[in-house]
Amino acid sequence: MAVGTAARERVERLDRIWQERPGFTGWLTTTDHKRIGILYLVTSLAFFAAGGVEALVMRTQLAQADERVVGPGTYDQLMTMHGVTMIFFFVIPLSIGFFGNYLVPLMIGARDMAFPRMNALSYWLYLGSGILLYSGLALGHAPDAGWFNYVPLASRKFSPGTGVDFYALGLILNSVSSTAAAANFLVTIGRLRAPGMSLNRMPLFCFAILATSFSLVFALPALTTDLVFLELSRKFGLHFFDVGRGGNPLLWQDLFWIFGHPEVYIIVLPAFGIATSIIPTFTRRRMAAFPLVALAELLVAFIGFGVWVHHMFATGLPEIAMIFFAAASLIIVIPSGIQIFAWCMTMVTGKPEYRTPLLFIVGFILFFVFGGLSGIMLAAIPFDQQVTDTYFVVAHFHYVIWGAAVFPLLGGLFYWFPKVTGRMYDERLGQTTFWLVFIGTNVTFFPMHISGMLGMPRRVWTYPGHLGWGPENFISTLGAFFLTGGLVLMAVNLVVSRFRGPLAGPNPFGGATLEWATSSPPPSYNFAVIPKVSSPYATWDEDDRETDPQRLERGDFVLEGGHLTPGTTPVDGHMDEILAMPEESPWPITLAFVATLGTAFILANHLIMAAAMAALAAAVLVAWHSGEPEAA
Amino acid sequence: MTATATRRNARPNGWYGMVILVATEASLFGTLMASYVYLRFQTAVWPPHGVAAPSATAPTVLALVLVASALPMAYAAHAADRGRRRAALAGIACALVIQAVYLGFQIHLYADDLSRLSPSRDAYASIYFTLLAVHHIHVGVGILLDLWLLARLSRRLTPYRRTAVSAVAFYWYFVAIVGLFVTATITSPTW
Amino acid sequence: MVPLGLPVLLATGCNSNQAITNPATRPARDINTLWWAMFAGAMVVFAVVVALLVIAFVRRGRPGEPSHDDRGPYKVIIGGGLAAPIVVLAILFGFVIHVMPATSSPPGPTKLTVDVIGHQWFWEVRYPGTPAVTADEIHIPSGTAVDVRATTVDVIHSFWVPRLNRKIDMIPGQANRIELDAPDPGVYRGQCSEFCGVGHAQMAFYVIVQPPARFRAWLRVQSRPAATPTTTAGLLGRRTFLTVGCEDCHAIRGTSAAGRVGPDLTHLGSRRTLAALTIPNTPRMLYDWISNPQAIKPGARMPGFASLPAAQRHALVAYLEGLR
Repeated sequence: MAVGTAARERVERLDRIWQERPGFTGWLTTTDHKRIGILYLVTSLAFFAAGGVEALVMRTQLAQADERVVGPGTYDQLMTMHGVTMIFFFVIPLSIGFFGNYLVPLMIGARDMAFPRMNALSYWLYLGSGILLYSGLALGHAPDAGWFNYVPLASRKFSPGTGVDFYALGLILNSVSSTAAAANFLVTIGRLRAPGMSLNRMPLFCFAILATSFSLVFALPALTTDLVFLELSRKFGLHFFDVGRGGNPLLWQDLFWIFGHPEVYIIVLPAFGIATSIIPTFTRRRMAAFPLVALAELLVAFIGFGVWVHHMFATGLPEIAMIFFAAASLIIVIPSGIQIFAWCMTMVTGKPEYRTPLLFIVGFILFFVFGGLSGIMLAAIPFDQQVTDTYFVVAHFHYVIWGAAVFPLLGGLFYWFPKVTGRMYDERLGQTTFWLVFIGTNVTFFPMHISGMLGMPRRVWTYPGHLGWGPENFISTLGAFFLTGGLVLMAVNLVVSRFRGPLAGPNPFGGATLEWATSSPPPSYNFAVIPKVSSPYATWDEDDRETDPQRLERGDFVLEGGHLTPGTTPVDGHMDEILAMPEESPWPITLAFVATLGTAFILANHLIMAAAMAALAAAVLVAWHSGEPEAA
Repeated sequence: MTATATRRNARPNGWYGMVILVATEASLFGTLMASYVYLRFQTAVWPPHGVAAPSATAPTVLALVLVASALPMAYAAHAADRGRRRAALAGIACALVIQAVYLGFQIHLYADDLSRLSPSRDAYASIYFTLLAVHHIHVGVGILLDLWLLARLSRRLTPYRRTAVSAVAFYWYFVAIVGLFVTATITSPTW
Repeated sequence: MVPLGLPVLLATGCNSNQAITNPATRPARDINTLWWAMFAGAMVVFAVVVALLVIAFVRRGRPGEPSHDDRGPYKVIIGGGLAAPIVVLAILFGFVIHVMPATSSPPGPTKLTVDVIGHQWFWEVRYPGTPAVTADEIHIPSGTAVDVRATTVDVIHSFWVPRLNRKIDMIPGQANRIELDAPDPGVYRGQCSEFCGVGHAQMAFYVIVQPPARFRAWLRVQSRPAATPTTTAGLLGRRTFLTVGCEDCHAIRGTSAAGRVGPDLTHLGSRRTLAALTIPNTPRMLYDWISNPQAIKPGARMPGFASLPAAQRHALVAYLEGLR
């Protein structure tokens, strides 16, 4: 189709207006959600590698009884860092920082997130908090009290070193990053959807991110309070958890798990969203029972706040309390079950094509069901009171966190690879990767159910040989290395394809959501003309897509007068105002740097310097808000 | 389509952003107050022996004063929405004076408490001083926001700044209401 | 394949002395039954989902376009995702309520109380009403309801003997209790089940169930003060014990040693293991332990006594092994 002159001129104007600074500095000041997404991608994969190495050292140590590859001091740091790294610095930043950030504006037909500078701030704070935590490791002061850091073990008396402080302050800084990201998603999803995209026409991935963001907003403060209590106790001798002074160590556990349980749904919800994006594409069928699936995603997030005590069944609580939380833990199975059957029925009534992304989703469904089943068992209080704190639980949560949360991320990396890079990955290598990782995952984590049932507790750096735990551990270790091999193959595939893969075009898989209606990779302004939307499968609506070039020519919703995107009403998506987006800015990275430095000063007990950093942060914020984006 | 001052149906994004920030802070205060209640019901004697129960008079009066300061802030937001810069300035300045006096008194009371009770004495002291400090910090941040608004509004009233005024006003409504809850919690031994 | 392997592999481990699937009491059997029932149910559910995925795979090449009619799928989704789970989970919940009293209620009327106090990284064991104090071995009479009071002096530990009952955490300020009622004499292994620091992996214990008469005899011996050494080596050993610092951390009733930091050693010679089941209690092992505890149990709070002349260390061993 020939592109008219007017259209071409509009596109050129958009290119000029939305262009960012080139080179390295451009990355430091970018406010483009796609580039910020890529920053998150690279950083989270680096932390993934770190967490993976930590795991492999642990598995080497555990491969045989009475092994002495590392001692308990090192092992305890490794197991703590592995948990903290994988949860806070890998899976969540990859899910919402990369997939969420990159895709949500595209899927809703917007040009950027609602608060582009705050988006950049979220990333730089994440990086700063990760550097802070890992500098603890580098200095030989990694935290070593486990990722949930129970008191009194984590108190100053029993953990006199600074490791626990690195943990607490690193996570407080990290939580600011996640809270800002959640706020950004909520406002973006609420107000930046393309005109005509009422909530029931919003893709399911965005519902998943919506649910995740609500959870983050209400769950993170419980962790912040807990960490603040801990640091006030450690640094100033306050007493929240000391029995002798009127405190209670269970207060730490309650606050932690009030955060911790919603956290696991925060971890897995984006993966549900990715599954609901991949399945329709590769089955060429709309998701069955769309409204039920959307509702189920929101319900999982909501009910997730009411189950936390199931992490504390062995602490000697009154039976009535435990029964209530066991019931809630069973109820949450229902929205999960609804989604599982919806995914399966979409595949049964569709025409599935088992390319790499869909293979990972099939693996995901199997792992989610299996891990969910062991989760249901854990809701049975007497059974939990036997297996809690054993390898049975380690098996359960790796099936759900690794199998169910990460497999869609891996599938998603393949699926959106052509969109982000403009090139196609190698399909045969991709399928091989799937099988290696799928088999490796089962070989690694399945035997842990058994060693748990045979009585092997968690967080043990070694074990005796006469209890029958040797074979399971050895098999797990083999599986871990096998799984790593699959991941290495995936990395090679994607890195080589990035430079030498065949060009992909805008929609190589026939995807339904709006990111597939623009070029690969998308231009900095995402869409030359804001798309017309009539359903959640906007790219499949050919009538609407045919109007795009005509509207571009006419200048209907091209908005090339500035850095602009439409603002719409929260529920119905009616056009409401033109929003002016900020241009690139040095203030987000500056503020993140000052905040990280301030946190480091608190850690080192230089409180005056920390206060100075707070003042400096205020000054940076003033400078930030002096740049007021104006609609032309 | 153009225009900066279009009639909107939805609130501006910055206002929604503040609402979400307020939601997280409400959650934070919720966990702090829940911790107070948790610790309180662990202990037979609360406050512990040797610690006087806090007087309810001064804190209650001050809490109501803070709530009162929300009125000039609401007036300022209302005026800013209608493009009346000077009226908005006046509202913010008035609120700021009340809030500053409030905070001054609170800091004085806090220092007085500290001279009689150390936060590291026991769980009661720890949660008492922490909950109050978090609230006072929120008031302090609000005052800084007021000062920033005054500085910006002294020149022009742009749509951006109009959103800022309504967002800061919303922040103050939250801080004032939370102040009532915090005061109720802190003075609960005296009821 | 994967889920079927589980019972096979479990069956091979069923003789393990710390296996949940090797119950020796009624509560442990109830939980084991609950486990197998849930396992069976889980396999059925898993099979249903696998079947759906297989059906999807098999039908993938059929002619024609996919149908977007949601009515059929809705029936399966509501049936399988809402109705069936409500029924199955309600039944499971009922089963749970049924099993709970045997495992979760505080101990009923019991014939014997034992205090087990968690330390970093050993178990202090006391028998209220007697002067008996020991460590890392809990003797109880068979066929008797025993009330174990589980407390801690430092961090959170967890008391767990899988073959006898569920675990119960030892939390500062809390007096948690668990009932042990073992019909069959034997030695049952337990292990700390809440991460408690560097020594956590090497903090295990035995519950030794004895016929009541044997238990009473054992308790009588444990209640007595320490035996007086009769050999030269033993006497030298006692003198060494009381002068080089051992008494600062350890107690031996009947001597001036009254330290509470480390385990009570009054009847050390009668115990099967050292360092909370880390090594067997033999003269050679004890000698190595005294010389360099860190090599055996890294992070242990006990300093090494390698600087002490070998003769004195051998004397210590002779003395301590004589404390039966």
